Amino acid sequence: MDVILAAVGDAFTWQALLAIVIGTWAGIIIGGLPGLGSVVGLTIFLPFTFGMDVITSMALLIGVYCGSVYGGSITAILINTPGTPQSAATTFDGYPMTQQGRVDEALGWATFASFFGGVLSCVLLIFCAPQLAKFAVNFGSIEVFALVCLAMLCIVGISRGSLLKGLVCGMMGFFFSTVGSDPITGADRFTFGTYALSSGLDLIPVVVGAFALSEVFVRFSSRDEEATTIPEARLRFPGLRDIGRRLIELVRGSFIGSFVGALPGTGAAAAAFISYAAAQKLSPRRANLGKGEPDGIIASESSNNAVTGSAFIPTLALGIPGDVVTAMMMGAMVIHGITPGVRLMQDQAQTVYALFVVLIIVNVAMLVLSKPSIGLFRYLFKLPLGFVMGGIVMFSFIGAVSVRGNPLDLVVAALTGILAYVLRRGGYPLAPLVIGMVLGPALESSLRRGLLISRGDFLSFFTHSGIATTLFVLIGLFLIWTVTAGVLEWRARVATRRKAASAQPVSE
Amino acid sequence: MKSLRYSLAALALIATTHAAMAADNLEIIVPFAAGGATDIVARSFEPTFSQQLGVTSVVRNVAGASATVGTAEVANSEGNPNIIGYEPAGALSIQPSLKKLPYGPDSFTYICRTVSNPMFLMVSKSSDITSFQQLVEESQDQPFLYGSSGPGTLPHLAMAATVVNSDLKAEHVPYSGSGPAMNALAGNEIQIMADTETILENYDLRPLAVFADHRVEGYDDVPTIEELGLPALDFAVWQGVVAPKGISDERAKQYAEACKATVESDKFKTFADKAKANIAYLGPDDFKAFVQKRFEANKQVLEDAGLTQ
Repeated sequence: MDVILAAVGDAFTWQALLAIVIGTWAGIIIGGLPGLGSVVGLTIFLPFTFGMDVITSMALLIGVYCGSVYGGSITAILINTPGTPQSAATTFDGYPMTQQGRVDEALGWATFASFFGGVLSCVLLIFCAPQLAKFAVNFGSIEVFALVCLAMLCIVGISRGSLLKGLVCGMMGFFFSTVGSDPITGADRFTFGTYALSSGLDLIPVVVGAFALSEVFVRFSSRDEEATTIPEARLRFPGLRDIGRRLIELVRGSFIGSFVGALPGTGAAAAAFISYAAAQKLSPRRANLGKGEPDGIIASESSNNAVTGSAFIPTLALGIPGDVVTAMMMGAMVIHGITPGVRLMQDQAQTVYALFVVLIIVNVAMLVLSKPSIGLFRYLFKLPLGFVMGGIVMFSFIGAVSVRGNPLDLVVAALTGILAYVLRRGGYPLAPLVIGMVLGPALESSLRRGLLISRGDFLSFFTHSGIATTLFVLIGLFLIWTVTAGVLEWRARVATRRKAASAQPVSE
Repeated sequence: MKSLRYSLAALALIATTHAAMAADNLEIIVPFAAGGATDIVARSFEPTFSQQLGVTSVVRNVAGASATVGTAEVANSEGNPNIIGYEPAGALSIQPSLKKLPYGPDSFTYICRTVSNPMFLMVSKSSDITSFQQLVEESQDQPFLYGSSGPGTLPHLAMAATVVNSDLKAEHVPYSGSGPAMNALAGNEIQIMADTETILENYDLRPLAVFADHRVEGYDDVPTIEELGLPALDFAVWQGVVAPKGISDERAKQYAEACKATVESDKFKTFADKAKANIAYLGPDDFKAFVQKRFEANKQVLEDAGLTQ
């Protein structure tokens, strides 16, 4: 108990609180700017932490991390351009709501869902970290493969217009992710002998091109006046009754996010897609998804922010960072002499508890700071459209190049932007492209690793473990469900058409 | 609408020039993303090093393709006295034998080696294997699986060399880093891993042998590979500073002196102690000879294991 009180004391110093406010606010802004995401934000702030004590520096970095994951939703909703890849799934329903004039409601749900997901995952982290970590260890390559297959199925759901077009884009994204070094043998693939391509196509330049740049192109080539105005950003929190009505959606999204976040090598973008796919099957308002349904925003935002808390589970319980961002946090800990590992919880209990307290304060700070941050975006988007769009292009390119410092990424972003523009004109959905790009590497390496482990026997995947079998059964059910629903819908359509035809009076 | 397009073009131009702007300061290239293990050491190395040289330095992370993209950038800056690379072992001594790169071990002016940590052959503490001999025996029925932080990395090479030179039967499963590999080891997806003391200390692992020519302090009961009756195998995770070719001897000497002073400074020593990085300074000539030797040795391992192109 003394340890916990001391830890609370550590977290409530003025330095730590100031770091939280600055970090969270900067994180929201950085996350909201297309191209600049969590990794860039942390890279900017990491050098500042060298002179601070452990708790203050972790407070700053956690603030930036959680803030940026939330901030990505603001531009996703306002201008159909996710500020970070983690918020790509927020555009599905966020932007349609904006087009219907429900910006305030959409931003309100995004903010509340982010807060809810963040806090729930903190609670899970505090009370169930060891158990969840133990469970995550059972998630080997074959289980991850099954999970990623399940997530891939959400392409089917979001390709509402044409499944074929959705699959084409999904495969394109998947193909993009195979360029560069082979994850198992290290050999170069699809580089056409150019050395610059051997590092592969990074996710950020592709996302920036697919969403931000193509959006700019679409707006500039449109003669439609409506496309050139950005609605005023306002925020209206959902009422208690609305929250009660959608509580189950919030809880489901947060649990999916917390769970996926605890697994190594998946991350917040994948969590959001998985959660959205789940909402498509389970939400009572699923028929409206994709047309401006708050449940879609809740699915995406509650799960991606839930990852922020649970990503610390493997980091703190096992010393294994779940993604790039927690790897950077681990780096910051090492600088201050704390080496994460299996004994961290015992050796550094006070620091770990202080970290939990910081995580919760950050989520509260995020809720409080959402209003002024959105106010800032409102002000920014009131500028002449040329400046807004020019700014988006500028930040997109800075973001694209600053992740790896590779000038090739500028070219990749520009070319993806042009490709995405052509695809959009042809009515192809772009989200599957990003899904393919996000999930492709995980799918490929987990499959090939699984084959190495099972010594080439794919059939043994299905019986490898209880978890794997369960996941594969779920995939089977999902497929049967989708096909049956499709057939029934088709038959119903044929029946009504026939009815309409027979009911038509013969006038000639 | 026209003015809008002009302002768009102007802002886009600002963005690209910002990225292309080359500073006059000393640039320290770290070929990994910010926050990684190498980056942290480089960033702790940088302040004292800059102070010694009397310049302002900027650490720039150029990540990708197993650290070869950033390393190539240093090699391609021939004659530029304002760029150096803080390099990991793999990019200098392994990758050039694995694939076609725009550089080789002769493409640099070697400045110094900073740190070096010997690698251990490890199994999970939960396994009942306590000796290398036992490991070899138990691998005869069903080959074991060993993990690595990626194809062509030091953990991969160390184990590949062990398998080639002993009766151990084991196959390689690469992961995207030491962390995921540790997760797999904890879940018994793989059984063996070769890595440094940092990894050994932080996870529940049991060392069976050390890839060095002498036993390591603090691990006195862990035999060297040679003591187990295998040819001597030397694998360590080291880092060092290189400059491009074609810089003046005077500049190279400045770098070397600054590096020596930095590595010997209390500030860097304190950091290295915390981060469990083992300071192992080598001057320009020794470092050059060392990299050349490691390059040849690694090439041999890759050839024996059938991994060269």
